[in-house]
Amino acid sequence: MREKDLKLAYNNVLAQTISTSQKFLFAGNLFGDIFALSLSELDKSTEEPPNKLQVFPQGSDVDVNCLAFHRDFLIVGSIGLIYGVQWDEEAQTLSTKRAWEIKIPLQVDAVEVPDVNSFWLCTETDTLYAGCGDGVVYQIDLEDGRIQREYRGHTDYVHCVVGQPDGRIYSSAEDGTVRLWSDKQKEPTAMIEPYKNPQLLRPDWGKWIGAVSVNDDWLVCGGGPRAAIWHLRSMECTRVFDYPGRVHVCEFVDDSVLIGGEHNHVQFYTLNGTLQANIPVEHTASYSAVWQMSPFKFMSIAGFSNKLHILKDFRFLDSKIEMYGNLQGDDVENEEEEEYDDEDDGENDTF
Amino acid sequence: MENLLNTQFVKLKEAMNNLYKLKSSEHALESQQSTSVLMFVALKHSNRTVKRNIKSGRDELHLQKSKVDLSRLQLQNLLYEVSHLKKEIVRCQKFKSRDTYLELLSDKEYSNKLSGDYSEKANLSDHKSHLYRLECELRLRKELDNQYSALLSSKQELLQENLKQTQKYLSFAPALRTLLESTKPLHDALQLSLDVEWKLSSIFKYLPRPLYILFINLQALQRDKKDFASEVVGFESDAQMQELLSESENILKERRHFMEKKSTCEATPESTIESLLKPHPLHIKLVIESPDKCYELVLIIRYWELLKCVTVYPQFNSTNNSSFQGDINVVEDLLGHLYPDDSGQDIPIPGIEYELQSLNLTTEECLEYLVQNRFGKPYCWLQSMCSIATVNNKKIFKHEFNLHKMIRKVFIQILKRWRSWLRLTQQIRGLTYKDIDMSAAKENIYPAGLTGSLVQWTAISSEEFNIQNSGLINNLSPSNEITYTSYRAVIVRGSAKMECFIRIPSNYPLDIPLWTLSVHWNGRHTSVNNAAIKMMEFWTNSLQPKNLESGNRLLYSQLFRTIYSFDIFLETEGAVQTVREYNKEKPYISAYTKRIRLRPYKYIMKGSVYTFKQ
Repeated sequence: MREKDLKLAYNNVLAQTISTSQKFLFAGNLFGDIFALSLSELDKSTEEPPNKLQVFPQGSDVDVNCLAFHRDFLIVGSIGLIYGVQWDEEAQTLSTKRAWEIKIPLQVDAVEVPDVNSFWLCTETDTLYAGCGDGVVYQIDLEDGRIQREYRGHTDYVHCVVGQPDGRIYSSAEDGTVRLWSDKQKEPTAMIEPYKNPQLLRPDWGKWIGAVSVNDDWLVCGGGPRAAIWHLRSMECTRVFDYPGRVHVCEFVDDSVLIGGEHNHVQFYTLNGTLQANIPVEHTASYSAVWQMSPFKFMSIAGFSNKLHILKDFRFLDSKIEMYGNLQGDDVENEEEEEYDDEDDGENDTF
Repeated sequence: MENLLNTQFVKLKEAMNNLYKLKSSEHALESQQSTSVLMFVALKHSNRTVKRNIKSGRDELHLQKSKVDLSRLQLQNLLYEVSHLKKEIVRCQKFKSRDTYLELLSDKEYSNKLSGDYSEKANLSDHKSHLYRLECELRLRKELDNQYSALLSSKQELLQENLKQTQKYLSFAPALRTLLESTKPLHDALQLSLDVEWKLSSIFKYLPRPLYILFINLQALQRDKKDFASEVVGFESDAQMQELLSESENILKERRHFMEKKSTCEATPESTIESLLKPHPLHIKLVIESPDKCYELVLIIRYWELLKCVTVYPQFNSTNNSSFQGDINVVEDLLGHLYPDDSGQDIPIPGIEYELQSLNLTTEECLEYLVQNRFGKPYCWLQSMCSIATVNNKKIFKHEFNLHKMIRKVFIQILKRWRSWLRLTQQIRGLTYKDIDMSAAKENIYPAGLTGSLVQWTAISSEEFNIQNSGLINNLSPSNEITYTSYRAVIVRGSAKMECFIRIPSNYPLDIPLWTLSVHWNGRHTSVNNAAIKMMEFWTNSLQPKNLESGNRLLYSQLFRTIYSFDIFLETEGAVQTVREYNKEKPYISAYTKRIRLRPYKYIMKGSVYTFKQ
């Protein structure tokens, strides 16, 4: 299979983020490519297809596991490494040079370089929280790049980390727990173990919690176990959602809950657990959803397929945008004069 | 004046009268007489003034008269001028500049070519800009004229040169003839029979030009390489016959043309495609031996006068009588995908469709006829080998001159492809009869045994393949002119079964076999509903031949990759099962990493330590 077809067929987008100016959407995949899509076309209610995407390769050794956008930097979480690259809004180019780099410290007993799996960016304090493959959540000061604190406790790698500006952090991990942290306490303030709840446990799929999201009073999380809402004060599970697949995405959106994962639909539920919208997606599994309410309502869902799914009213699928095969400059390279050098064998041809 | 004279006369008359009275009275007085005489003086004075006055008056008149004359003259002049100018205006109106007859460049071309300072001229009047433009064009024309004359002179020079060379060349002939004759005794003395050989093989003199060129080049190559052989098939007499026939036909045609034009309509029915499309009676048979000496590839190369192109028909001969599956397909795929976009679906001769039109034929008809009658296809590379200019389906013109290199390259390409295909068919046969030497495969493969095992390998139809995998195929970039053969493989481990659908493209090894997987274990898992299977499929399909050692067996390597991936899938998946069916056998550190819960499909070898990693 040619590389082009390979990328087309197996494009796995793990991360997305929207620029501070809210004019661009970035999506990164496991081939180390970062796509940039201009959102201004999507704003208009025209039927025209949006502009082509730009692609900024980060190197084949870089897996783009997670993305965040801070001021004019795109922050990329890869393997054992967080780095920032400057985004030039005028020229619409992503700098090819890394502006800064933070290495995740290797643990004493580590055998593998840990992945950086999830970011939560606190814009009020310019702090980045990174959930990593060694089970630790690192609190990083974006002013000087120092690791301010490590939140230790998870016994397996962290899937997802979110927080609130007042210093409360929530992390979910492969070990099946959701831990609640405060930046003033060393130990987790509380812990949820959904797999211990027989209502939630799906034994064939394990106990891992793939995603967690919070608002003022409620927490939603899911993974191998079913997605469910928990009350933050009482730590009681109050509602179970019947999303049929493994959960990789769950978010509070407006006053509903978005759940996505390894299933051919993503679903919106009310807080009471009734299904509001069932949106078909082409992803084998959905891994990322980003949205904004202003200046216009817009949501993009990405996952293991070559298409970004765009929702404008959060109830129906609006459009699908292809990534590979829809890049700026694609038409030009069609004229490639490939030197068909048969790669099949290195034997010397005696002729 | 009058008064003056009158008073004088009156006074004089009075004086006369007085005198007369006096005289008559005889009182003449001297004094009175003198006063009267004095009056005459006054009269004289008056007379003089009168005369002067008259003269001045006359002068005045004359002056005025001359003034009038002058102005009259002026008036005349002006009138004349007016009439002249009127004439002039009429002439101007009737005037036509010569440049109107000139063919000028179009505005666009003009602005492109000549207007260096367009902005400057923008404020000029129409007429002036036109003049400027004319000037520019004049300059341009002069330049072109210069170029033309220069080229003409160089052409002349080259012609002269040519002439000189031909003369030199012609002067060689007698010298060569004498040389040939003078070496005859030497030949006899050394008992060489070069002459005889030459005469025997003189049949190739009758080859049509393109085939002749090809044959000579092949002969030259054959001198130092023994793994192919070429010969001319056909009879000298046939060729001569055809030549004569075509000549007489031409004469006949001409005659008919002269005689009458009535009989033109009756000629059409007999001009069927068979009679029009006749290959040249001589053709070249080219035999290439396979690398393992078991098979022969026979290429029959024919020339078509009407189509102005060469076709090749491939055949497989096995030298040791072992049957060879699907050989015709293989060999056609081999030649059809030798170069991209060159599958022999068109006649690559520029302008041939128009020539055929005049004979009421289409290129499609001709190609169909060629294929049906086993005359093969007109590939572009074949025309290049014969130094025929071609236009491929992307409208790129090509005329190969370095034939020696070109033919060598084509042969190397054919041999390479053939070798790959032989290996592939061997592998397929091995898989079908489950006669695989697992240990011999040299992919950087997990050395301890694989737990999953291949239980079935069967050919399936493409439709069947497409039904199973519609999702994935639609995602791929479409490729025309490539056909596929599909297979189904079944791998079993414990209660789990994996179906693999394999699609082998006809342009292998440019494209490599595509695998799609479907696992039956606690339900059906495919790349559509299970991300782990999709990653597994990616891992299998991402195996590139260039990562393997030379002489690799790609299909085996892909199979091994698939099987060990399947093992790892089951082992990691089994870990969370309540009842464990598959224990961890493969060495890996963590079963899952990343948010996608990626499994450790990648095989890492460091020295003698091997592990699987994500």
